[in-house]
Amino acid sequence: MSEPPAQVDIVTSLTGAFPALEALPTAIVYPALMLVGAVIATLFVSLFGLFAIWLERKVMAHIQCRLGPMEVGRHGWLQTLADGLKLLAKEDLIPKDADKALFILAPIISFTGAFMLYVVIPFGRDVIAADLNVGLLYLAAVGSVEVVGIIMSGWSSNSKWSLFGSMRAAAQVVSYELPLGLSLLPVILLAGSLSTRDICEAQAGWFWNWFLFANPFMPILVVIYVISSIAEVKRAPFDLPEAESELVSGFHTEYSGMRFSIFFLAEYAALFGVSAIASLAFLGGYHTGIPAIDGIGGFLGGLVGVATMIVKSLCFVFLQMWLRFTLPRIRLDQMFHVCYKVLLPFAFVALVGVAVWQSVLPDRSLWFLPR
Amino acid sequence: MGYFSEIFQVGKSILVGMGITLRYLRKPSTIVTIQYPREREQLPPRHRGLHFLETEKCIMCFICAKACPVDCIWIEGSRDGAVEGSHVGDKAWITKFTIDYGLCIYCNLCCEPCPKDCIHMGQEFDFAGYTRLSMEKNLLTGKPYTEEDEAQVVRSRSAIVTLEAETKAKKAAEAAAKKAAAAAAPKPAAPPAAKPAAPSGEKKPEKPA
Repeated sequence: MSEPPAQVDIVTSLTGAFPALEALPTAIVYPALMLVGAVIATLFVSLFGLFAIWLERKVMAHIQCRLGPMEVGRHGWLQTLADGLKLLAKEDLIPKDADKALFILAPIISFTGAFMLYVVIPFGRDVIAADLNVGLLYLAAVGSVEVVGIIMSGWSSNSKWSLFGSMRAAAQVVSYELPLGLSLLPVILLAGSLSTRDICEAQAGWFWNWFLFANPFMPILVVIYVISSIAEVKRAPFDLPEAESELVSGFHTEYSGMRFSIFFLAEYAALFGVSAIASLAFLGGYHTGIPAIDGIGGFLGGLVGVATMIVKSLCFVFLQMWLRFTLPRIRLDQMFHVCYKVLLPFAFVALVGVAVWQSVLPDRSLWFLPR
Repeated sequence: MGYFSEIFQVGKSILVGMGITLRYLRKPSTIVTIQYPREREQLPPRHRGLHFLETEKCIMCFICAKACPVDCIWIEGSRDGAVEGSHVGDKAWITKFTIDYGLCIYCNLCCEPCPKDCIHMGQEFDFAGYTRLSMEKNLLTGKPYTEEDEAQVVRSRSAIVTLEAETKAKKAAEAAAKKAAAAAAPKPAAPPAAKPAAPSGEKKPEKPA
């Protein structure tokens, strides 16, 4: 814990950057700046979606001895844009017996849930939409909003497959909330704060200050976090809710065109969201791990922080893609077995271990170096 | 298996699997797909693709058409001289040589009996069209058969008829002149061969069968 952190959000950092804004009345400036932040985040999510879908197809193709998209742009880098435009141009279909209001609302809620993760993700010391003092709790809470949209989509589609998919999604996401939350609890023990920015600040300095190296239990917790975050975003090998081969495509069977692409975007927004949480909780967030580089202030320093955060998150994104194309989909009973009989006990043991370690050997990094 | 050894085994096998997929990801040489319309696979030399014709060797003997089990080869032309729109073969002027790939079974039976070895199975294999006519390939140009080609063939038909009639008359006149010469100087002479009958004459009795 360094200096007592001032409450930082996009409004304070932007008014800091443009002092002229302070002259305007707060009632106008505050909502306007929040809107700016939301637009930036939306742009980022969309661009990341474009990039991640392309990357995923390329990784998949190369693992499967193929080339993947090659036609649109150099090595097909514009393929996602072409597909997105195609989806936008499609007819807006709503099944006859669907519950129209819920059917329309479902993708929006699903995307909102994924999008709200970005509020507390710090992309730099001052690049954060809102530094909530309950940041990690907030992340755990809004992370499960997405599943509400998925249950709504399954119910309102009035299709067996959609309902099966959304029931599975609900069971899976609710179950995996437990190991996910438990794997983040020790981070709170180590940082002494729930604020995401404080968690990052607690890992400042050399890279052995990252929580990953704080004690021998943290690597286990990273593994638990990665596994349960894959289940949380419903990707292979935990893609039971979509289950291409058994449920057609699960909860979004009846969705097409624009609404389907919103679901798709929500999946990738959540993918980056959980990866960003992993990197801020275990890998020091926006810290490069070298004090000299982290010391750079001003605009350049902010840029370095943003780049570091994105690169670290992309490593986790790549890990999730890599796992997706390595492992086959597991069965429902195996999924619950892994959650309740393996991840949960291990997470509890690690939590107790971290607590004991903190009281016996506090302020040690890499298990022996003084911090 | 015990609880911990099972978890250990699962973790180990996941790591092994990830190692394998990473190896494939990093090796571009393992890629087996080709970018189809631009890159083509090297087909074996005896591949039976779309036919091609060495027009200048063709004597228009109709043996290929006769051999064809599904009658998909269409040949028209003249052996008496060039007409409008004809392609020059070996003492043959061909106006039409098409294969209807809506019928063709790629059996290679047309290429085997060819006395001049001028029709071959090629390497091309992608032939698709929107109409029935476009399923026919004009072997004289190597392109799909078109309405214009058909119109040209129809136009040259009458020219062939007049040309053949002229040639026949000329030959008859020559024969008469020769006969007159032979009568003037009696000598045993073989009667001039009649215009060689097209093998289609032989083909006809087979067709109804």
